[in-house]
Amino acid sequence: MATARVATVPAKQVGAQSPGRPAPVARTRPRWRQAVTGWAFAAPFSVLFLVFMAVPVVASLVMSLTDLRATDLRHPFGVNFVGLDNYAKLFSDGLFRRAAVNTLIFVAIGVPLTIVTGLAAASALNSGLVRLRALFRVGFYLPVVTSIVAIAVIWRFLLDPGAGLVDNLLALVGIDGPNWLFDTSLALPSLIVMATWRNFGFLMVIFLAGLQSIPIHLYEAAKLDGAGRWQQFRHVTLPMLRPTLLFGGVVTGIGYLQLFEEPFVMTQGGPLSSTLSVSYHIYNQFGFGNYGYAAAASYVLFVAIVGLSLLQFRLLGSRD
Amino acid sequence: MRGKQRLGVAVVALAAIAMAGCGRGSGGGGEEAKSVGDGKATGEITVWAMGAEGEKLAAFAKQFSTENPGATVNVTAVPWDAAHQKIATAIAAKQTPDVSMIGTTWQGEFAKTGALDPTPNLIDKSAFFPGAWDTTVVNATSYAVPWYVETRLIYYRKDLAAQAGFMSAPKTWDELKAMAKAMQEKAGVKWGLSLQPGKTGSWQSVLPFAWSNGAEVATADKLSFDKPEVVEALAYYQSFFTEKISPTDLPDGTLEPDFVKGQIGAFVSGPWHVGLLNEQGGAGFSDKFAVAPMPTKKSSTSFIGGSNLAVFKDAKNRDSAWKFIAWLTKPEVQVKWYQTVNDLPAVQKSWDDPALSGDKFLPTFGAQLKSAKAPPAISTWEQVAAAFDIEVEKLAKAGQDPAATAKAVQTKADSIGTGG
Repeated sequence: MATARVATVPAKQVGAQSPGRPAPVARTRPRWRQAVTGWAFAAPFSVLFLVFMAVPVVASLVMSLTDLRATDLRHPFGVNFVGLDNYAKLFSDGLFRRAAVNTLIFVAIGVPLTIVTGLAAASALNSGLVRLRALFRVGFYLPVVTSIVAIAVIWRFLLDPGAGLVDNLLALVGIDGPNWLFDTSLALPSLIVMATWRNFGFLMVIFLAGLQSIPIHLYEAAKLDGAGRWQQFRHVTLPMLRPTLLFGGVVTGIGYLQLFEEPFVMTQGGPLSSTLSVSYHIYNQFGFGNYGYAAAASYVLFVAIVGLSLLQFRLLGSRD
Repeated sequence: MRGKQRLGVAVVALAAIAMAGCGRGSGGGGEEAKSVGDGKATGEITVWAMGAEGEKLAAFAKQFSTENPGATVNVTAVPWDAAHQKIATAIAAKQTPDVSMIGTTWQGEFAKTGALDPTPNLIDKSAFFPGAWDTTVVNATSYAVPWYVETRLIYYRKDLAAQAGFMSAPKTWDELKAMAKAMQEKAGVKWGLSLQPGKTGSWQSVLPFAWSNGAEVATADKLSFDKPEVVEALAYYQSFFTEKISPTDLPDGTLEPDFVKGQIGAFVSGPWHVGLLNEQGGAGFSDKFAVAPMPTKKSSTSFIGGSNLAVFKDAKNRDSAWKFIAWLTKPEVQVKWYQTVNDLPAVQKSWDDPALSGDKFLPTFGAQLKSAKAPPAISTWEQVAAAFDIEVEKLAKAGQDPAATAKAVQTKADSIGTGG
């Protein structure tokens, strides 16, 4: 019965919407009913969205303005409003500043490195330079779908100072390999390389799709104009790939700003906090029960993510 | 769209009013314990326990049900990683079990939420190691009962020490260092003494040296790291790294094999290492190593850890819950529990039992436990400890000055506060 009534609504609507005619009084009722019907259909989503998204988001924003701690669990409304104190405290916290710098370094080096590696792999596979294309495609993509825990175990073996493959290879050419993960200046770069290795496969697949959608006649035209391989890449591939690059950059940027798993499983933020990331710091603060403070830090991270994404849209977005 | 916006504003406003409206209650401490009724325990008692305790307690508690026919004990095993979160969530939702095992360093935080029931006089305080009992006390009120304990001792290779000319255990700070050095020089040991160079839990290795030097470090309402006794202990701790007696970057999992191979001469750890070493060293290895109390400067004071048992205010079966805890802390039950999961008894009298007093290593632990200390149960301790660990790492690895280390810890501790 309900479906029958709904089906009639659009039919009436078509007649009622002739341009320029003043609204007849009788029309208000169907419109009211239409709104109810519409909301009834949207209700399952709206309720779920409100209960599980909007309320927690608003609650966490309010939380970041209070001094809520784990010890207030039984009386969460007994906390004090502290305004922006948490945010002020955040920027005077040396550990947070350290985490912010580490994260920025990770993003500034990691994102371009991952994009370039992904693009290089995609171009190589696309141009037919490599035989056994399917095998390589699978091989490069495997790290993306492998558990970070398994990857961490393997990489810890690779980077081990005594038995590790990396240092043993270096020893072959007479270099005394360092203790990668225990050196304050090498731990973060090691994680950057590992993250690049782990994530470039995803971008490679995206870029491959992008490359294959570039019309072949553009390259033919460029060749007729005497463009070499590099010039074709620079003036045909890159401009045509810009939307794909933007997508890759934004997705990778969002992921890398939330750096957490790699230091969590590899270094626990050490040595000497040199691999502590903002997300890791937030995780720790939640663990200590400083809910208000941790919520404030989460919002700072959120703003940073929005900022980086906007910046990428400005730099790589369409310029028409 | 506009409707949604309006709703969002309404939620914010409501929350704001609710928050502005009520102030924070006092919460935790200064409470009177209610007494527990007579008679046998009855009804269902729900218990949460972690790790090996969680796995073995259900079968172990059958004995309690036999003695109290009307009572059943329902144990839920909780992994250690998830335990803190699970208990916190249960407190917030007021859906707690009757009894839960609680790590000693969480005691302050959970007691302060006001969710724990003060310990009734059914439990006799004097039966326990004083250091263990202190971990249950928040603002002069006890909120739990020690279940099992552990403490840290010096493990060293007896055979290699003898080779280096040390026939008995090191008794003082100077002797410990001399022995570690001599083992390096005369017994071919690569590292004389392995100390934890920072990272999670390193405060448990450092604080015993400070306590042994007469430092108070922390009381319920005051954190004092910036003291000459602490600085001296930090300097002593650091000297092991600067003099290349302790490694700064020992990979995980290599301590035990290196100790068995004779690459590491000594280390500081708790009772669980006896089993680990016997397992890795094979038959006869237990003759090659020994344990010694923390070396003395002004005293020999180690760290006491372990777990407590607490009853929640929201418990449905409070009286029987306390009776179950009283049963678990009977001396003979504690001995049996030790034989079940190797947990060291928190009750002093249990240590007279031949199962413990006849052991090769345990009496040393028992003696150390009498004077062992724990930090006070303050709600922010975990955070203070994490800050301490970071500074210890700088001390050990980056050569940070001991006085500057103590000062840095103090600054952080001051800004964190005691949560009071």
